[in-house]
Amino acid sequence: MSESLKSGIEQFKDNIFGLKDSLTKSYLRAGKPTSDMSRAALMVNNFFLHIQGAKTHINTLRPAYTLGMGLIAFYLFIITCVSGALVMIFYNPSIEHAYSTVKDINYVVFAGRLMRNVHKWSGEGMIVFVLLHMARVLYTNSYKRGREFNWLIGIVLLVLTFVLNLTGYMLPWDQLSYWALVIVSNIIQSPKELTDILGLTKFVDIGGIQKEFFLAGTVPGAATLNRVYFLHIMLLPIIITTFIGVHFWRIRKDGGLTVPDNFNSSCNVDCGNLVVLPKKTGGIFTTNKTYGLMTMSKGVTPAVDRDVENTVLSWPNLAIAEAAVFVLCLAAVIVYSIFVDAPLKEAANALIPENPAKAPWYFLGLQEMVSYSAFMGSIVIPMLSVLGLALIPYLDRDQSDVGIWFSGSAGKKVAIKTLIVGSVCLIGMLAFVVNFGWFRNWWPSIAQIWIILINPANLWLLFVCAWSIWIIKSTGSTRMGAIALFTMFLVSYLILTYVGTELRGPNWEFFWSKAQWPIH
Amino acid sequence: MSSTGEKTEIGRRDFLGVSAIVAGAIAMLSVVAGALRLTKSNVYYEQSQKFKIGRPENFPAGTKVKLDEKKVFIFSENSGLYAISSICTHLGCIVSQTDSGFLCPCHGSRYDGIGNVVGGPAPRALPWLEISLHEDGNLVVDASKEVKSGTMFLI
Amino acid sequence: MQSRFYASLLLISALILLAFVSYAGLRELNPEWKTYQKEYKRLFFNNAVTPDMKKKAAEYTVGIRQIYIKDLNRVDRCDNCHVGVENPLMAKEKVPYRQHSGTYLKDHPVTKFGCTICHLGQGNATNKKEAHAEGHDTYWDYPILPLKHIQSSCTQCHNMDFLSKHGADVIIEGEKLFNEKGCKGCHKLSGNGGVLGKALDGVGSQPIHYFPMRYVEGERTQPSWLKQHFEDPRKVVPESVMKVKLTPEEADKLTTYILSIRTYDPPKIYRRINEEPIVAKDGHALYNMYCVACHEDGKLSAFDENLKGTIPAIENPAFLMNADDRFIEMVVKEGRKGTPMTSWQLSSAGLTDEEIKKIVSYVALQRGHESSKPVSVNLKTGDKDAGKEIFNVRCALCHGEKGQGGLGLNLANQIIKKADDQYLFKTIRDGRATTPMPPFGSTGLGLTDQQIVNVISYIKAF
Repeated sequence: MSESLKSGIEQFKDNIFGLKDSLTKSYLRAGKPTSDMSRAALMVNNFFLHIQGAKTHINTLRPAYTLGMGLIAFYLFIITCVSGALVMIFYNPSIEHAYSTVKDINYVVFAGRLMRNVHKWSGEGMIVFVLLHMARVLYTNSYKRGREFNWLIGIVLLVLTFVLNLTGYMLPWDQLSYWALVIVSNIIQSPKELTDILGLTKFVDIGGIQKEFFLAGTVPGAATLNRVYFLHIMLLPIIITTFIGVHFWRIRKDGGLTVPDNFNSSCNVDCGNLVVLPKKTGGIFTTNKTYGLMTMSKGVTPAVDRDVENTVLSWPNLAIAEAAVFVLCLAAVIVYSIFVDAPLKEAANALIPENPAKAPWYFLGLQEMVSYSAFMGSIVIPMLSVLGLALIPYLDRDQSDVGIWFSGSAGKKVAIKTLIVGSVCLIGMLAFVVNFGWFRNWWPSIAQIWIILINPANLWLLFVCAWSIWIIKSTGSTRMGAIALFTMFLVSYLILTYVGTELRGPNWEFFWSKAQWPIH
Repeated sequence: MSSTGEKTEIGRRDFLGVSAIVAGAIAMLSVVAGALRLTKSNVYYEQSQKFKIGRPENFPAGTKVKLDEKKVFIFSENSGLYAISSICTHLGCIVSQTDSGFLCPCHGSRYDGIGNVVGGPAPRALPWLEISLHEDGNLVVDASKEVKSGTMFLI
Repeated sequence: MQSRFYASLLLISALILLAFVSYAGLRELNPEWKTYQKEYKRLFFNNAVTPDMKKKAAEYTVGIRQIYIKDLNRVDRCDNCHVGVENPLMAKEKVPYRQHSGTYLKDHPVTKFGCTICHLGQGNATNKKEAHAEGHDTYWDYPILPLKHIQSSCTQCHNMDFLSKHGADVIIEGEKLFNEKGCKGCHKLSGNGGVLGKALDGVGSQPIHYFPMRYVEGERTQPSWLKQHFEDPRKVVPESVMKVKLTPEEADKLTTYILSIRTYDPPKIYRRINEEPIVAKDGHALYNMYCVACHEDGKLSAFDENLKGTIPAIENPAFLMNADDRFIEMVVKEGRKGTPMTSWQLSSAGLTDEEIKKIVSYVALQRGHESSKPVSVNLKTGDKDAGKEIFNVRCALCHGEKGQGGLGLNLANQIIKKADDQYLFKTIRDGRATTPMPPFGSTGLGLTDQQIVNVISYIKAF
């Protein structure tokens, strides 16, 4: 009643002095996170946190299980976006000024060189960590039990990551950008190889139409730069952000991260440092509950001294883990960027090609295959590979051993066997081709169709498929086939990328190291 | 486990947690500060604010020059040289010279012959700019440095 | 209330982040140019004598600056390190504090011209290595121009007439060499010149990668390439057929001239090129400009290893006695297909009829007063088959079985078909004194007049 006795001015005065409390209250509706209740409420009520559950399974917090790969990839994305926005302030997307504004970022912007490096390396780091995250999900058998669709979203994100990196590579308008654009536009044009053979080019030149659409011309120019810029800073970021949102939302919908069926409290010992186990008294989620007998049913009962299904509160357990990984990530990117500069070559010159004109490293595996047939190496085989990866959850429907690395020791053996066989065979094949060449070296007048149909890249793809099917046959498990297929993919990507990056020199000839490259 | 033992355990954890969060916050603040500093341009793509106008002997007493590109008037009298900015102090339009002084076309500010406001919305007089002699013997006007009205540069 | 593992991770990461962000920040705050500016300030203050100057020196602020010249579309940041270029008090200091030499800056104020318009290098850069752009790892197309070639920049705005009056001796002599060594005999420039070599338009502003640097010794820059190429063309480009070899001094001068041939023209307000009075060149000058590279003084007929052919001695009196001006003019105009001799008329190598006439009359100066007696030749009586037999025995060794040339000249071309019968007849009959071509006539190797006519009819049918 005393409230009503206060005059309006006094109330106003109280409101002003009470601003701090009332602002906090309006922000943290359930009060400060001091109790289990308010901690849970904090997670649920916050827009950015609510995509995660109020409680998190202990297994999710084990670094040895997730390795934090997906989270790191996401953080790298955030870092890329922020650093990208910062360099964008100075960048001018015109062929007259693009190069000199990038130079300015390097020379006269405070920490500009560092920021450009951060943007470059966090972007390329995304590729590495998206692939590693994918490997983690595959090897822990985590693409099952409703998560099949999220695996597909993940594949889309992988492709988007590649394209975002590639479009960024083209923006500085230096020699690297220009000749990467030339190569990419000709890859886009490469269906012409097939339509030429079939004699369809004069009716419908798919490759040519695609190329001219992408370049807005026949050679890279001002209009191309505009298009690539639009893709890089607007269209692709919007798309990838949307898909990341869907990816996270699906994780929640699919029941969080995978957990082994037999996950038990034995983790308690080695998890002691990772999480704070709930207090045994008080709170709403503790085990300090009273049980009344409601009904008799068969099944496993939760251990009485454990929290519901081995979970802990997300705040602060998950929150501090995520904060730690973010700061670690940022620190790592900045340290790397201080010591390694992003490349910037001479201004674009349409008359003087780079030799070798290499694509960015993450596409050099493709370029190694492109060196046999542009159409197969850069369109058909990558498409088949992505398709093959995408179909893994649908072709391997064995629902057991979810959440266990390699699904146990058998899977580990398959993975190691595949690693060895794949490396030896692939290196052997590449060594053969480097030493003896291929059809065109033996029969110079051979028709292109034979090279399109039979080239080392195709043979390798066939071998990978055959190997995976043989594994399925010999182990009797589709899960082992999935492990074999994916391991082969990783081995191929790594070895081909290494060969393309380090062992190929001018005129795409073989060199043991860059030091042996002739001067030109 | 005794209750005191548990307390120190939690105390130690709290200290670690608090210091970790504080360190994280400071580190993030330093990153943000650097990023904000980055957004400020260090160099401007403009003509230099400081420019040479030639040797003193090119300005005999009685000279009145308007340097359009530099937005400045140069006057030479027996008592010395002075430079008056041609940028209106109201909203930055360029004033033109009239018989009685200067007139701004945008909002009608009027100034007398030495730049004092005599009418219109202009809040203050047209600034007099610093003139100095460069090491190489040329006169230099620095449009970024204002001097007191009536300050003559003696040749 | 946090887990020990993640709290420790957060703490350690945060400390690493803080340490390296501080390191990066300190590095940003202390760039290379700052030390130069601080030292400049000290020197300025020490050298200042008058209190006014001392005050100015004390007021000098250290900070990044740039010369932005909109009209030239250039940004130069050289004066962040070369701080004293405009300060006479710094005349005796060391580079980079020293005042610019000479009185160039008086006429070319830094605020209007900047630095790189003359000196090249990377104006944007703010550290020495990348600004001077020396070395391939700086990835800049135009490394700083060595001072000995600096005059190559003057021609952007000044003509040779002006430069010769203002002591630009290097480039003047370079141009003289260019004109007298017959460069245009093989290289096209501004529309005229031969086609054996690359056209030279804009060669002075070609990026480094335009020049194959594989065999270049020392610094791999445009000037080194040009210089070494002039000293020994085949050392730098093994497949080159270029004949000229210069002494190192000459090579330097010619390099300066060649570097002045740029594509980029400064805006009109910068240029001080008055329409150069076109001094009509006389026949001798034209001969030097276009012919001398291959024909040299024209006295000697010699087999050229690189061109794989014999270069005819066009000043040989024996040749001139038989060939009239009309024929020589035709050869110059139409060239000789199948040989390096190009067509020089306006539509090809770009010489006007008048110029060709001048060259021809210069060449004809060596013709003796006595002209050979006309002979009557009737080709209709020629027997091609008989001519072939004689040709294969007597001529093919030098001229090739199909007349394609070898030690002897190429005969299978339009010019021979169009050539005057009398000329061919006399040439075969009397041979070419001082060349390997012997007289085949009755007084020489014993062919009858009829046999010679047979051979001519065979040659004309190639």
